[in-house]
Amino acid sequence: MDLDVHLPAILAGDTTAFARWLAGAEPSVRDSLRSFAAVIDVEAVLQEALLRVWQVAPRFEPDGRPNGLLRFGVRIARNLAISEVRRMRATLSDPSTLEVAVEPTPPDPLLRAAITDCRDKLPPKPREALDARLTSAGAYDDDALATELGMRLNTFLQNITRARQLLADCLRKRGIHISDELAT
Amino acid sequence: MTDDEDPALLIEQVASAHRPHSQTELRYHPAWHDLGAPDRIRAFDLARSLRRLEAALDPENLSTTARAVLARMGTG
Repeated sequence: MDLDVHLPAILAGDTTAFARWLAGAEPSVRDSLRSFAAVIDVEAVLQEALLRVWQVAPRFEPDGRPNGLLRFGVRIARNLAISEVRRMRATLSDPSTLEVAVEPTPPDPLLRAAITDCRDKLPPKPREALDARLTSAGAYDDDALATELGMRLNTFLQNITRARQLLADCLRKRGIHISDELAT
Repeated sequence: MTDDEDPALLIEQVASAHRPHSQTELRYHPAWHDLGAPDRIRAFDLARSLRRLEAALDPENLSTTARAVLARMGTG
């Protein structure tokens, strides 16, 4: 899978093409930052790095190898993370883990159908909380989402926890294991 | 320990895609500063798993992180 198929449209300023690139590229860029997770807020760095990819994409020059923009994005993210480590006066505990594979994530229609079906089986309150997070797409903090749903913040967060645990359990019964983190 | 200090609930907040907006500086989630290193790594791993779920539930296969980036581009 070569995400550079979207490159000509991205270079022309097509935001829809960049969204398609983002869908496949985000997991790899995130994974490239795991070794920084103890000392910097990776989510904040990741969003800034992905935004910078879009901003500097018009000046990007492909090297002829697949997934050039993705490798470029990983470099931007890692350089930003290193700057953050310096700003926070932190040290990485295990610099040897800095190298990671860069591999785009293709859509999985079967997984998608299973997750959608399991989401539809959630009890009302956990589903409300999960849907609020999805609809908000990071625009509002959990306090605002909780207020909108008439919940206390802690109740909202407990409903989020319950939603992901139930989803993980439902998927496990179908023989699908996404991660241990969802179930705990 | 009060509910507000419960590491599990702090991790749940940090694992969301919401980050305070700023045009001039990188803004961390306020709850991130209240977590120790092991819990920050747990928040990272939880966020990674949640984004996979979110993308599967999105018509364009976009996670809340991707949606937040697109919103900052003015297209979300």
